[in-house]
Order: sequence, then structure tokens, then C-alpha cells
Amino acid sequence: MNALAERFQDQNVGSIFVYTHEAHPGEQYLHLTSMEQKYRHAQALRAVLGVTRPILLDALDGACHRAYGSMPNMTWIFNGAGIPVYKSDWTDHHSVTNALEYFLDVSQRRRAKERLAPFRVERLDYRNQDREAFFRGLERNGPKAVDEFKAAFSE
Amino acid sequence: MTEADLVLRYNYDAFVPAKFEPWMNFDQSPKVGERAPDFPLWPLEGGETTLSALWSQYSYLVVEFGSFT
Repeated sequence: MNALAERFQDQNVGSIFVYTHEAHPGEQYLHLTSMEQKYRHAQALRAVLGVTRPILLDALDGACHRAYGSMPNMTWIFNGAGIPVYKSDWTDHHSVTNALEYFLDVSQRRRAKERLAPFRVERLDYRNQDREAFFRGLERNGPKAVDEFKAAFSE
Repeated sequence: MTEADLVLRYNYDAFVPAKFEPWMNFDQSPKVGERAPDFPLWPLEGGETTLSALWSQYSYLVVEFGSFT
């Protein structure tokens, strides 16, 4: 997603990362109890995970995250008027790239005076499921995060 | 639910279905094509902004929601 942000930044596309809460609290990164702690965890997104996009914190009660569906790693695309044009309950850069290319093409067609009307579409996209990388992430937070994930999904 | 209780429940202390599943309501989230709700956000580097202040700067704004874990 960092590379995607860089690829589209010259086409007036902004990209941000909103830090929500800890999906898998563990020994290293506990559940959040204060904004000070939330800032510390958000620093790790930059320092450990290498997020280069602007990182912004949601309120401690997750007001923004909850309003948009509370999924652990979802992506939304808004147009400049604040209308969501894409919403995905998981993040996959192929899917987001595909959507951005489509919307930028729409903008170009509008500039060419093509008359366009919006409609809604549902589509089933596919994400890479790298379980080894996922478990490495859980292990980084300690055995509690690993054990609770396995117990939740009977693994 | 009080604000303190909301903060406690949203920031659940264990990944168990009874604690995380109630928050997942993507099916009831705002529809595409309709004006979206605005919220304050706090940049990591300090200060305060809003989602609307950010989306209004661009033709399109990609917003990824996530956590460290």
C-alpha cells in the first residue's frame, strides 16, 4: 500500500493509514487504555512495520473506525466531496489499484465531456493469504496473541 | 453504555469472539455514493485534523484502517 500511495500521488490521490486499536493484544502490545499509549503503538507502525503514508489516530473509543464498520484492515476511497466510491472489508493493493485506475479513467472521461451517471456494483475480490507472515506478526506480539487467534478459529 | 465502558469494550483485552465480533458491522457501514460521516483524527506527528479536511484536498483519498497487531 505504501508503493501504491507513491504511484498515485502525482495524480492528486492522497493515502493515509488510520490507526484503530489492537486487533490481537498480546504481551508486547497490550490493549489500549490511553491516547498516550495509542501514540506509542502508532509509532511502531512507522518504525517496525514501515508504514510511510501519513498515520493518523482515531479517537480512543474508535468513533471513526466503528462508524465505518470496525473491520480490522479495511480500505475506503473517498472522492473530494466526501462521497465513498469504494469500500472493502479487507485491504488488498491489487483491488485498490484496480479501483483507482478505474476512477481516474472516469475523471478523464468526464473531462472529455462524456456524460456519465453513477451506479452501484458489488464484486468479490481476492487477497493474498500469507499465513506465515500473519503468524510472524502475531508472534511479534507474544504467545498470547498467537494462542488466542488459534483458539478463536479452532486451529 | 458510558464512554468509559465503550473505551474498555472497543479496546478489548483478548481476541475472543465474544469481544471482537460485536464490533464488526461492515454490512451496516455507510453506502458508497452517499455523503460519509466526518470524524476528528490525530496525526502521529501532533495536532488534530478531520477526515473531511483530508478528503477535500484530493481528487481521491485512500484510507486504510488497521492496527499494529
